[in-house]
Amino acid sequence: MIRRMLRVAFPLAVAVLIGAQFFPPARTNPVSDPESSFEAVARPPAEVASLVNRACRDCHSNETVWPWYSKVAPVSWLVAKDVQEGRNHLNFSEWGRLGPEMARSRLREVCEQVRGNEMPLWYYVPLHPTARLSQTEVTTLCNQSPGGPAD
Amino acid sequence: MTTYRPVLALASVISLALFCGACGKESTTIEPTKLKSFAALPEAHASGANDPAAAKIALGRMLYYDARLSKGQTLSCNSCHPLSTYGVDGKPTSEGHLGQRGARNSPTVYNAALHFVQFWDGRAPDVEKQAGGPLLNPVEMAMPSEKAVVAVLKSMPGYVNAFRRAFPGEKNPVTFIHATEAIGQFERGLITPSRWDKFLKGDHAVLTPEERAGFNHFIAAGCDTCHSGSLVGGNAFQKLGVLKEYPEASDPGRYQVTRNQNDRMYFKVSPLRNVAMTGPYFHTGKVATLDDAVRQMAQYQTGKELATVDREAIVTWLKTLTGDIDANYIKQPELPKSTSRTPRARATA
Repeated sequence: MIRRMLRVAFPLAVAVLIGAQFFPPARTNPVSDPESSFEAVARPPAEVASLVNRACRDCHSNETVWPWYSKVAPVSWLVAKDVQEGRNHLNFSEWGRLGPEMARSRLREVCEQVRGNEMPLWYYVPLHPTARLSQTEVTTLCNQSPGGPAD
Repeated sequence: MTTYRPVLALASVISLALFCGACGKESTTIEPTKLKSFAALPEAHASGANDPAAAKIALGRMLYYDARLSKGQTLSCNSCHPLSTYGVDGKPTSEGHLGQRGARNSPTVYNAALHFVQFWDGRAPDVEKQAGGPLLNPVEMAMPSEKAVVAVLKSMPGYVNAFRRAFPGEKNPVTFIHATEAIGQFERGLITPSRWDKFLKGDHAVLTPEERAGFNHFIAAGCDTCHSGSLVGGNAFQKLGVLKEYPEASDPGRYQVTRNQNDRMYFKVSPLRNVAMTGPYFHTGKVATLDDAVRQMAQYQTGKELATVDREAIVTWLKTLTGDIDANYIKQPELPKSTSRTPRARATA
């Protein structure tokens, strides 16, 4: 009985998986004004800019480096969704759209999230080991971000 | 079975009590971490570059109420931003010179000095620079030039003296820039602290359990992503239609200022202070009710269809942002008398 079910289910799953490849999500890197970037607007210390670039850029900027698995469904859909949500909430390429109060608030959130190990996302780090931040780096990000140390 | 019945009944009662207790705690207690992105309003928003002298505020108040600063001499700042009704006229778009309509909803002037930029598209950096816009806009107050404004002001000794008091030591106190500076200075005092500020300062009992629950709904819906800070907005540009294209795209927003394609449909995030009193909503002014504004925001900005109960809860909390208007501060002053040199009204386009 089980064998008969598997005989039907397995080819069906393969067919669905192959079919899914024909519906790729949009993997775009919108063109943005370099003058509006975090580096240009907030002028962070080089170390902070480098940490942001290393740990946050893929999901929180318009300069996403789309990995090979982002082209394979269903993972592609999840990656595209994460990037879309990440950019909507915080986009380092469009820092110029934030007023001073909001910019400070966003940087405080960044600090809290990395300090609490909520960011980078746990499943992102094994595939991007350079995104892992040491305690010293987290402290640097929190204390040296423009606007002063986070609480 | 009979033996177990009382035990089961007791267990049910305890479970229900725990469940309800948990519900109550979750919905009416605001976690301090959720408040980190919010701040109380300052007493008044002073500008370093603009001396907040009482004489300047008094002059700004006169100018704010003076319809002689419009081409038809029928419109003042207060016509489209009436201070007695939370700084709005309640119309989708306001009526300007010869009944012409502006393209966007007139926002409230209350707390406007705290916005990170002025106008829906951020084309002015502060209230001083903003104040000059409507005076010269042909569909608003329609004064033909800065010179024409100055001519009106200089024709009245009452104004000349008021400018001298506000700008002591200036060789030429009556200028267009000084007029906008004085209006801006007056506007910097239009701050409306509310019960929300008392709550943020530690008086937690000032909000009802329903209002506190409403805030939690606001957070759960993700509204605070853009609506945070002391104004609950007004501190960033955001695309209208982040997750779902906004159907009315004839006004491209900030693109009109920058001509950058990336800025299409970006607008300044509306501050939510006094929002219950400042409808109709959005830059179009076509959204009549706060409930619909909340519904549409959730739909287009967060991709969520909010249930009626969520919207009602959010609106309940939004009403706590309705602040107190200082009746003394906004009291219309006696305006300088016109003279034979004061230009007459012009009823031409």
